[in-house]
Amino acid sequence: MQQVIKSIFYFGPMLFGIGFLAPLSAQLIEAQSWTPPYGLSPIMAGLVIGGCLGLLAQIRGRWI
Amino acid sequence: MSPSQDLSKLSNAELMRMEREVAARHIDKFPYFAVVWAFANLAIWIAVWPLVFLNIIPLWLGFVISTINVTLSYLPSHEAQHDIIAKPGTKLRWLNQLVGHLSTIPLVLPYRIAKFTHMDHHKFANDPDLDPDYSTHASGPVQALWKAIENRQPRAKGGFNAYGELLLRKERPDILLDGIVYEVIFYGTLFSLAWSGFALEAALLWWLPRHLGVTYIQYYLSWAPHNPGLAKGRYRDTRSFRSILGNVGSLGMQYHVIHHLHPRIPLYRTPKAYWEMKPILEARGCDVDEL
Repeated sequence: MQQVIKSIFYFGPMLFGIGFLAPLSAQLIEAQSWTPPYGLSPIMAGLVIGGCLGLLAQIRGRWI
Repeated sequence: MSPSQDLSKLSNAELMRMEREVAARHIDKFPYFAVVWAFANLAIWIAVWPLVFLNIIPLWLGFVISTINVTLSYLPSHEAQHDIIAKPGTKLRWLNQLVGHLSTIPLVLPYRIAKFTHMDHHKFANDPDLDPDYSTHASGPVQALWKAIENRQPRAKGGFNAYGELLLRKERPDILLDGIVYEVIFYGTLFSLAWSGFALEAALLWWLPRHLGVTYIQYYLSWAPHNPGLAKGRYRDTRSFRSILGNVGSLGMQYHVIHHLHPRIPLYRTPKAYWEMKPILEARGCDVDEL
């Protein structure tokens, strides 16, 4: 159990990127009526943005 | 005793007797304001959610109110941490614990973690190895704000991460578990709201207010009253200071030296106790020049 909790917290930045930043980005795109490039839907674009930010934070150990 | 009186010729024993006399006049006063503050602040923060979701108030206003709520949520719990509302074994002890547990919910800081780490902060203030709040030390105000942000990075060693390290070192996984439960509920709520189409609301009513609140709290409750934080010891590890936002804007921290000397004096009485005690503090060599 302890190992599971540790793993979840270890991958916190990735989880936050996909779990929160992705839908947040998608809803910001929709609220601003932006059209994502390459025919991506807002949620697909959000997943790209949130996933990339989360991955970067996961590797660097920091968001900023 | 007049505020400008010179007591430097008095013995340590005489100074201690006078200090205790002043402190005794302010200890054991029931902090009605802190109790009302705790429940009112939490009630307003909870009420903001349906008010925003039902379009009764705009999201930007909810964000402003929530940020103020989160920022104000720590101090009532702090009164409880020091048993100021009611000591163990007394009739109103339940109220002390209720305030302690409930008030920091918006801040996502469990009461037991706050209390345990705060007691160590008092014991070891400014000790680089033992003070759990040492990571807030910084050379100036801008650096202090930046440090507060840096301390919240995933692999940071300071801030709340330092609290986790302390609890592991002291073999208190039971208290650490509170933190894990709080984090799971917090992020679970954010993720659920976000994937249900309410990401902006989650971001502006809890996630961002929490970041802003924690930064403000660490600046005024931790950095400002201990800066430069180079000395240790009862009369040297904190100070009084003049805030550009006044005592209210600094969350009552201008007179923090009183709190470290006599932690059971309620927050609202620290200004009065400070002015009564100032000649003693000067005789003791405290850093009280700014105020």
